[in-house]
Amino acid sequence: MPRARPGAPFFLQQALSLQVCMGRRLSSFLLITALACASLPTAAAPASARKAAPAARQPAAPARDGQAENRLIEAYRLVGQGRRREALAHTERLVRDYPQFQLAQLLYGDLLATQVRPGKAVPGRPEASAPALNELQQEAQLRLQALRERPPPGTVPAQFLALAPSARHAIAVDTSRARLYLFENGHHGPQLVADYYVSVGKQGVEKAAEGDMRTPLGVYFIGSNLDPKSLKDFYGAGALTLNYPNPYDLRRGKTGSGIWVHGTPPEQFARAPQATDGCVAMANTDLARLLRTVEVRSTPVVIARQLQWVAPQSLQTERQAFTSQLQAWQQAKRSGDLQRLLAFYASDFASYDKSLADWTPVLQREVHKLQGRNFALKDLSYLRWSDSADTMVVTFGEVAEGARTGPVKRQYWLRQGGGAWKIFFEGVIG
Amino acid sequence: MPSRPTLSHALRLLALAAALAAALPARADDYTDVSQLVRNGKLADALTKAEQYLATKPRDPQMRFLKGVIQTESGKTGDAIQTFTRLTEDYPELPEPYNNLAVLYAGQNQYDKARTALEMAIRTNPSYATAHENLGDVYARLAGQAYSKALQLDSGNAAVAPKLGLIRDMFTPAQAATKGAKPAPVAAPTATPAVPSPAPAATPAAPSASAPAPTKAPEPTAKPAPAAEPVAPAPAPAPAAAPNPAEKDVEAAVNAWAHAWAAKDMAAYLGAYGKDFDAPGKLSRKDWEKQRRDRIVGKSSISVKLSNLSIKVDGNKAEARFRQDYKADALSVSSRKTLHLVKSGERWLIVKESTGA
Repeated sequence: MPRARPGAPFFLQQALSLQVCMGRRLSSFLLITALACASLPTAAAPASARKAAPAARQPAAPARDGQAENRLIEAYRLVGQGRRREALAHTERLVRDYPQFQLAQLLYGDLLATQVRPGKAVPGRPEASAPALNELQQEAQLRLQALRERPPPGTVPAQFLALAPSARHAIAVDTSRARLYLFENGHHGPQLVADYYVSVGKQGVEKAAEGDMRTPLGVYFIGSNLDPKSLKDFYGAGALTLNYPNPYDLRRGKTGSGIWVHGTPPEQFARAPQATDGCVAMANTDLARLLRTVEVRSTPVVIARQLQWVAPQSLQTERQAFTSQLQAWQQAKRSGDLQRLLAFYASDFASYDKSLADWTPVLQREVHKLQGRNFALKDLSYLRWSDSADTMVVTFGEVAEGARTGPVKRQYWLRQGGGAWKIFFEGVIG
Repeated sequence: MPSRPTLSHALRLLALAAALAAALPARADDYTDVSQLVRNGKLADALTKAEQYLATKPRDPQMRFLKGVIQTESGKTGDAIQTFTRLTEDYPELPEPYNNLAVLYAGQNQYDKARTALEMAIRTNPSYATAHENLGDVYARLAGQAYSKALQLDSGNAAVAPKLGLIRDMFTPAQAATKGAKPAPVAAPTATPAVPSPAPAATPAAPSASAPAPTKAPEPTAKPAPAAEPVAPAPAPAPAAAPNPAEKDVEAAVNAWAHAWAAKDMAAYLGAYGKDFDAPGKLSRKDWEKQRRDRIVGKSSISVKLSNLSIKVDGNKAEARFRQDYKADALSVSSRKTLHLVKSGERWLIVKESTGA
């Protein structure tokens, strides 16, 4: 078992001291996780998790999203409180309901092993250095960390500058926490309603090239909800496609395709934190909720290395600043002055295979068609993405005065050196 | 790790079950015969005889237990499981059938079922050492399975090999677990031959040839009596051929004491102790008698066997040293004991009792 190295995290040292109090050598990974959660806020395991325990005795406990994790955390908590008999009984029910939940099996194995007389061999006890064990330990730590360090209530990811009222949901992924957050969008803006453990690429994040086994970072949208019957078992309950590479990715020469949010194979409840070829994988019970809930095309999926959680009001200034930028573009388009309009477009503009020169006639036709009429930006949303550059992903329905509908358009804006925003992509998406 | 006997234990349990039944010593012969047949490998004959007996006494737990053991030995695991399961239904207070069920389940890698059965065994008898020991093994196996699932290892290979080994491993001598009764050198019937030789417990133990008078005898006193004397200096040479009359009297007194104890004849048992008896643990005579009553009368059955008895007489004082094999319900303790006796009138009465090597 690994001993605490100098500079080991505090909870690891705690774990070792507890090992002494218990008077029995325990797999330290059990204790690490157990102790790490002893300080968890109670809110981490909702009452529903506790209620679920007795019900789980019935063989066909309905698998609800997040439930398995809640029950695992509850077991850790019991261990942390020294209530090991209860923890064992609790974990036993958990593995009965979720036999493929490897982390639960690991805890179950640990708790059973503590019942074995010291000195007696436990067959199959993993070596501390076993790679699969290390992955499970990472998974446990990530799950606990995500539950211990909750987003402050009422906050949203800074990327959600403005969500369209028609967008009923939004998703954000924090890859440093291996966590996907699901938001419901309503009158009061996006509200966090659930969050789940997810796995990303074997080589981590920031996908750049086909086959690099990395998960892309950026602002994406769900393309389609693939019929699970058409998928291999490997993808589990289903898959939601993402529009990687998006225009910003293409602009920077990123390659690759087929980045999905999908489920887990039948033999695994969850996968290791870094396990996919670049997709975002999550437990089937958790994915099932997304599949039931989210709308294709309108649901944004922000994937960030680290989400920045902010109060919605704090986005107000930024939102207004960009809104006036957008209104200026709207005025220019309405004015019928093509040169004035073109000033909003970057010189290296590209709409798929069209350059700005190719695109100018398209703009000209549109301006001509408007004939000075005003037009509304319906269901406007803008999502901000900042890395080495500052970008804005803008989606709206362009509905001319007197018309009932219009094309749904998406624009990618890039902030220039002087602070002005310019459009580097524009296209009709629906 | 003490080496463990094989299925022998199963039959040692059998005897206890029998004693718990109507306790008719007259029938012991039938059990002995069947056990003997099993021991000699004549399983078919043993089964026939057991069936014959059960035809007249279909509910008899001891014979049914024996039948289960025969079925186990014959490899009829399914039948054996059924036999023991029915026993647990009819006699839920007996831990032994649960224990053997667990052994059978464990042999099939059904560790969850084995665990449940052992937990039942322990619930019926919390100090059932064999069940505790077995449960430890089952926990280890279950832990191994869980680890395999956790790490997604193929546990298939690992599970096959130890299957048979486990059955052998499962049986352990029932170790005394009662407080104070520190089983000295636990007479683990270890070196059991490969052929499972069920040691029938209720059978009058074949007196060890050397000991002059193997009889029934004491249990480990609840608290090892404050051993006033250190281990007797003289190695007490076993009285050879012709013991003198005083020694014979002392031997008779000791045997009577053991007999009274096993028969739960409290008057005779307590009467074997002199007025000056040095009750252990600073108990008053009255409290000590109460404690003894509580511990003896409550038992379903008690068996006390003495061996290696050696007696030293010095005037009106005597010292009797022997090995005492005590069994009560599922508890089985073997220990060394020394009784100090004083002649009072015509009787030899115990004035001090100490346990230990």
